[in-house]
Amino acid sequence: MNDMTKAIFTGDRCLSCTSCMASCPVMAAIKDYRGPKLVAPAHGRLHFSQADIETTLEFCSNCKTCDRACPSGVAVSTLNMLQRAEYYKTHKHTRAEEMLAHNERMANLIRKIPFGATFANIGVNIGKTLNVFDKLGIAGERNMPTYAATPFKNLFRRIKQSTSGKKIVLFTGCYINDNEPQVGEAFVKVMNANGYEVLIDENFNCCGSPLVSMGFLDEARAHAGNNVARILDWKKKNIPVVTPCTSCSLMLKAEYHELFGEDVMYEAAQNVYDAFEFLELLQERGEFNDNLKPLNQKFLYHVPCHLKSQAIGLPAVNILEEISGVKVQTADADCCGIAGNYGFRKDKYEISMKIGKKLFERVKQKDFDKVISDCGTCRIQIHHGTDIKPCHPIEILAEAY
Amino acid sequence: MEKATVVIIGGGATGLGILRDLSMRGVKALLIEKKDLINGASSRYHGLLHSGGRYAVKDKEAARECIIENQILCKIGKGCVEPCGGMFTRLDIDDPAYEELWIKGCADSGIEATPITLDEAFKLEPRLSRKHVKSAYLVPDAAIDGFRMAWQLIDSSRRYGGRFKTYTEVIGFDTVNGELRGVKVRNQFTGETYEIGCDIVVNAAGGWAGFIGKLAGVEIGVQPDKGTLIAFNQRIVNHVVNRLHKSSDGDIFVPHGSITILGTSSMSIPDPEDTSTSRAEVENLLKIGEQTFENLRDFRILRAFAGSRPLYIPPGGASGRGASRGFAIIDHERDGLKGFFTIVGGKFTTFRLMAEKICDQICAKLNVTEKCRTAEEPIVPEVSQADKERARKFFPSYGTELAATRLGVERFKRVVERLESDVESRELICECENVTRAEVEEICKEDTIFNIDDVRRRTRIGMGTCQGNFCSFRATAVFADMGGNSMAKDSLVRLREFLQGRWKGIRPVLLGRTLRESEMTRSIYELSMNVTGGEPQ
Repeated sequence: MNDMTKAIFTGDRCLSCTSCMASCPVMAAIKDYRGPKLVAPAHGRLHFSQADIETTLEFCSNCKTCDRACPSGVAVSTLNMLQRAEYYKTHKHTRAEEMLAHNERMANLIRKIPFGATFANIGVNIGKTLNVFDKLGIAGERNMPTYAATPFKNLFRRIKQSTSGKKIVLFTGCYINDNEPQVGEAFVKVMNANGYEVLIDENFNCCGSPLVSMGFLDEARAHAGNNVARILDWKKKNIPVVTPCTSCSLMLKAEYHELFGEDVMYEAAQNVYDAFEFLELLQERGEFNDNLKPLNQKFLYHVPCHLKSQAIGLPAVNILEEISGVKVQTADADCCGIAGNYGFRKDKYEISMKIGKKLFERVKQKDFDKVISDCGTCRIQIHHGTDIKPCHPIEILAEAY
Repeated sequence: MEKATVVIIGGGATGLGILRDLSMRGVKALLIEKKDLINGASSRYHGLLHSGGRYAVKDKEAARECIIENQILCKIGKGCVEPCGGMFTRLDIDDPAYEELWIKGCADSGIEATPITLDEAFKLEPRLSRKHVKSAYLVPDAAIDGFRMAWQLIDSSRRYGGRFKTYTEVIGFDTVNGELRGVKVRNQFTGETYEIGCDIVVNAAGGWAGFIGKLAGVEIGVQPDKGTLIAFNQRIVNHVVNRLHKSSDGDIFVPHGSITILGTSSMSIPDPEDTSTSRAEVENLLKIGEQTFENLRDFRILRAFAGSRPLYIPPGGASGRGASRGFAIIDHERDGLKGFFTIVGGKFTTFRLMAEKICDQICAKLNVTEKCRTAEEPIVPEVSQADKERARKFFPSYGTELAATRLGVERFKRVVERLESDVESRELICECENVTRAEVEEICKEDTIFNIDDVRRRTRIGMGTCQGNFCSFRATAVFADMGGNSMAKDSLVRLREFLQGRWKGIRPVLLGRTLRESEMTRSIYELSMNVTGGEPQ
């Protein structure tokens, strides 16, 4: 890779056209944010002049809408995240930021305690009632995601798969592993139905997305280093890494090399697929198992921002419509507003809900049987904003096999 | 009749240096400039405060002058000098024997040249060619902003009673029996002509010095020598990066504020007004520049610009790169015109010394015994840390330091007060260079501002990434609102001339992202506002 094509140098491409600002969901919700183009491409030219920080950078949710809006290919959000990390070199994280960024560490801790998940869930409920979260800086209005009694890793060991020459590695992601293992089970069922044996690599770390958006860049880099080495190992064995979590896949496919600029990260990215992207590839090759039970249902599909950023279209729609009787309509209501851990912060809760308003209103029309979305936190947000519980599209597909 | 003891012709670095020097010595001086200040070679150059390294082999005298003046300006010009340091790099295609001569030359001239390893060089300047760079030295080069310096010299001169008139052209001289009595001038906007009585005239018109001489009936050997430069959108370099070889075209990169300037060429031209640049000149500079920085073409170019060095050619002397960069003071009493002086040649770096030398001669004529104090006293007082701290609350991030040195103590205070009291004045007129509405308003109100380019030279609006895309109409509106003269109200004309000024420098570099940028500018102004940009400049 030529240095100049690396994301960190793309600020030079900015035409100052303001498309990023016009499309930024945060700016639409709150005037205080000076906007994507000012923070990274414009200020980047002026860093020489004084030691300073752009305090309104805290408003950026890293939803990456700006990157998609940019006609010049500036990695605006990545430049923002790099700047945010600079900020935290001289500023301490709040306790809420510490907690929200380290979901993996927290879950691992809980899993070490017998019935830890149950106690943690009770604790979370008590904490919520006692207003503890609010005091920590976490939005008290929200329910924290409940921990599943058994994490997916453990469930997986009990799943009986027939061995196959065709293998993929599932990158589970924290949310599916700890909170919604049923998505992982659905994934295994779908892949098995398509002749693939699913492997798990317990040495993978959290992809690092929550760390990046909270400014823990060094830790994220360590995660990236480990995950990339693992992915390359699988690549050598010709085994692709597939994940049903769109934020994880974006991290592994794009954000690592954008943020850290290492060629190996780019190389590893070539071996990572979003779950439906992979199924679509099978379909293109005529290898997709279309022996599907009819399902007479209408779905409203909220497309996660981090899926849009992968520029692979809407493979889930394409695949689900293979099921006879299925109709998928996209919600077409922009960002849901939660942006991973962003909407969990007390000081960002209102912004998050304001951004999500358009989507909530669309969902509340209830002209469908179910809401689907590939992203775990998008599903949390929709549930919170509408009381309607969405599911992952892979769960629908699994039903049809 | 308006009167002054000394009338200085030319608002470049030399003229301004003389105005300050004379004013500090208590001499009543008035500076006349036919356009805005610093409109000639003093802003159409690299922005390089030489260490003298460039002249260490060919002209040790000039090298010694440079290092002394460099040290003085670093001390007195904190508001306009960025002490970024310099690096000399020899490439594989450059003569190693020259390196030996250069080391000796630096030592002889008192220039500290510190050899560094290539690893150190690449660490300091990561974009240097790993393939071509063979040796590197650090020298005390610095960057200097001509625009800031000009206004700081004016502010300093004003404190001592110095006066100036811009957009005032000299059209003739009043002499009686071979003795100068006054200068005839014309106001460029109103066409009004009048005379200013004086005892002494200093012709510090740079490339135009020959024309001024002609008006006075004396012959002056000035050869305007055009140098073309390229401005890049980013700081490609952290230091001034020079090629360590016999001085040639396109071999200096200067980090100039938010941008990088690469130059220059050397071409004798008949008319100093010719500031045109061509695609061929740009291509030539890039070809040379990319020997030092292989990926140079990947960096976005903002514009090309050109200025004319006023090379002094004594009878029978060489021109172009062969001509001396030294300066000459001519007392035209020798030509039978008493009271008429010309100062010509020299370099931006040595403007203060040039002013000191000619002012010594003038003061001797006037029986003024005050000594020159320009080397000791800071040009302008610094904005205090306390004021800057207070300001940081209202300025955009990364905006305080740059605005403080642009504005100086008094204006800065007023701008901060406005930012504090009027929240809307905190909005940015120029998003690329971080210029607030409060600052633009402050400058627009000054009686020396007649068009948007004048505002630009004071604030840097329109000089960043988008080259006027978004600030042009905003600044025009603010000027129409706040400007003190009738020209401000003619906003459509002001907008068009400003856009044309921006486009002049963009035309020779209309390729890649620069082309995309200017197409956006064109569509905003032409399609949305029906402003085509007027007549090309």
